[in-house]
Amino acid sequence: MGKAKKFFMYLILTVASILSVFPLYYMFCASTNRSIDVIAGKLIPGTYLIDNFKALIAQQNLRLALCNSFRNATVLTILCLLVCSIAGYGFEIYHDKAKDAVFTVLLTAMMIPFAAIMIPMFRMFSQLKMVNTMAAFMLPSISTPFMIMMFRQASRSFPHDIIEAARLDGLSETGIFFRMYMPTMKSTYAAATIITFMNAWNNYLWPKVILQNNESITMPMLVANLLGGYTVDYGVLMLGVFICTIPTAIIFFCFQKSFTEGITGAVK
Amino acid sequence: MKRKIVSIVMASAMVFGLAACGSSGGTTTSSSNGGNDASAASETTAKSESSDVVEGSSDDDNTLTVWTWDPNFNVYAIKKAAEIYAQDHEGFKVEVSEVQSDDIETRLTTAVSAGDLSTLPDIFLMQDNSFQKYATNYPDIFTDLTDSGIDFSEFSSAKVAYSTLDGKNYGIPFDNGAVIECLRTDMLEQAGFTVDDFTDITWNDFMEKAKVVKEKTGQPILTSQAGSPDLVMEMLQSCGESLFNEDGSVNIVDNKALKPILEIYSQMVKDGTLVEVTDWDQYIASINNGTTAGVINGCWIMASITANEDQSGKWAITNMPKLDGVDGATNYSNNGGSSWAISSNCKKQDLAIDFMKSTFAGSTALYDDIIAKGALATWAPAGDSEAYAQPVAFFSDDPVYAKIVDFATKTPSNITGAFYYDARDAVGTALSNIIQTGADMDSELQTAQETVEFNMGG
Repeated sequence: MGKAKKFFMYLILTVASILSVFPLYYMFCASTNRSIDVIAGKLIPGTYLIDNFKALIAQQNLRLALCNSFRNATVLTILCLLVCSIAGYGFEIYHDKAKDAVFTVLLTAMMIPFAAIMIPMFRMFSQLKMVNTMAAFMLPSISTPFMIMMFRQASRSFPHDIIEAARLDGLSETGIFFRMYMPTMKSTYAAATIITFMNAWNNYLWPKVILQNNESITMPMLVANLLGGYTVDYGVLMLGVFICTIPTAIIFFCFQKSFTEGITGAVK
Repeated sequence: MKRKIVSIVMASAMVFGLAACGSSGGTTTSSSNGGNDASAASETTAKSESSDVVEGSSDDDNTLTVWTWDPNFNVYAIKKAAEIYAQDHEGFKVEVSEVQSDDIETRLTTAVSAGDLSTLPDIFLMQDNSFQKYATNYPDIFTDLTDSGIDFSEFSSAKVAYSTLDGKNYGIPFDNGAVIECLRTDMLEQAGFTVDDFTDITWNDFMEKAKVVKEKTGQPILTSQAGSPDLVMEMLQSCGESLFNEDGSVNIVDNKALKPILEIYSQMVKDGTLVEVTDWDQYIASINNGTTAGVINGCWIMASITANEDQSGKWAITNMPKLDGVDGATNYSNNGGSSWAISSNCKKQDLAIDFMKSTFAGSTALYDDIIAKGALATWAPAGDSEAYAQPVAFFSDDPVYAKIVDFATKTPSNITGAFYYDARDAVGTALSNIIQTGADMDSELQTAQETVEFNMGG
């Protein structure tokens, strides 16, 4: 590669990285400045982080929102991964005439926007007296067509010969799934964890409708509350956003290596 | 070993998940009790008994549930009201859920569409601009307050009109959105003016003086968010005009005030005396950073102005200019504000009504207190109180609160109707086409009229 070519490549990459990192840097800076400095466009970190934090916890129940969000997202991620991976595995490995028809229905369900099913769903949960329960928040997203499809695609690369061999050795079907499939598909699970956790963490509309009491507040609701007034304290708002971003960032960094593998194909 | 760990983690997660599903109220409350002191202190009323009350109307005879937004303003006000009411009614409490105004509307729509009103709280706050839409489309969610004993004549009539439909009162007016003109006295001085030169004047006069200010200080006198018709709507209401006729039909093309208003607006943009900024943050920034010599908006904008303490003593408040040659034009208008509503799901309507009657429609003590938060009354007796006559240091010791209450009582009412936001958006689009692309005003207004009519027919 010529020097000039390399130079331009690095130049483009540098510009691209700055563009991607700048919003995060700005978010951090803003959370350490007074609202009035944020408005004035100050771009260096300030000394108001602690003041902003005090203001934030005085206005909002941060601890409760973090606990709720974390609990909801974790439980939902584990259940979703379990249910969807079994479904994806089943769709790929077992054969049945109606399989493709069922899968088509599933894929079609993916096309329906959430806003269209929100009201019937609310009605259903309210008749079941499940408004304000964690189950009502989670049930609609435990099984998602996208996740099932992702696991089905990934299962294609899972060698069928191994399954046959395991069956001959007397391993049960459940055993094959838990003891052979799951460890092999680690990277797919990692990718699925990131996607599901982020979706669950950032979900706003459905929790806002179904979780109506103060005790169920989640981080996105807390951030929205910071934006609601006639006057917005931008320092506090940015700190709220910053805190809301940290867990998803951590999850992403933890699984980052497996993420690309999981998306492109799990088995080498 | 590894497998065992994985299975233990999975199993415990499932148990935790199921246990949490079973008792959402219990688990969440336990984690909230240990919250930090500051947040605990600010939410004492809301949290103290909340584990019993899960949703909708409260079962406790002496507790009312409330949906509202903004902890510094509305939430504070309703809690203060509860505190005042509890002095004569032992044990009375409100349980406040902080919900954004858009989300309150989403929840109301969802509840009505699902045919289940049992999730509604006893009291909720609603933006004045949305009130007619909900009162028209979903009258079932409101309690009719017409004969409730609340004296609506004590509120400014323009304000009461927002929550009145077919002669029935559905809301208790709350905060004031009277339009004020805020000016930088230091910049005016540089241009050889005082605030008095901008009081009780007309737009023609204002535009000429604005040019002088621009010439002498280099700054525009007004700032506006591009594409937002706030200022246009304020000017329209200042002449008692609306985008709808009494019968509900669209009044854009034949509106006698709209065209002159758009002409003033675009002329000021051309003169450089009105600067258009891209978004709300820029709008606030232009005020706080001193890149504008003034701003016209609802009186709640004061909270953003006073946020920059460095500018204390440099601002003054007066009334907005009035239109020349339009019948019924005044120097007063309104933008924003909200009203309380009692839901039809409320099982203690007598208590809720009495609470509202004794506080928001009957307590000067309440209004005297919440004025510190910038919540100004539309309830006339509050304006006579001493708290309103106090000089405000930020505005060079001018008693601005009394002034604003006075503005509110002189504001002409307008018709919002169920399609207010459709009409407002259509005018916003027309305005931005006229300013940005120099589109023809008549054809833009025609398009706006047709858009709204289409939406209404759909």
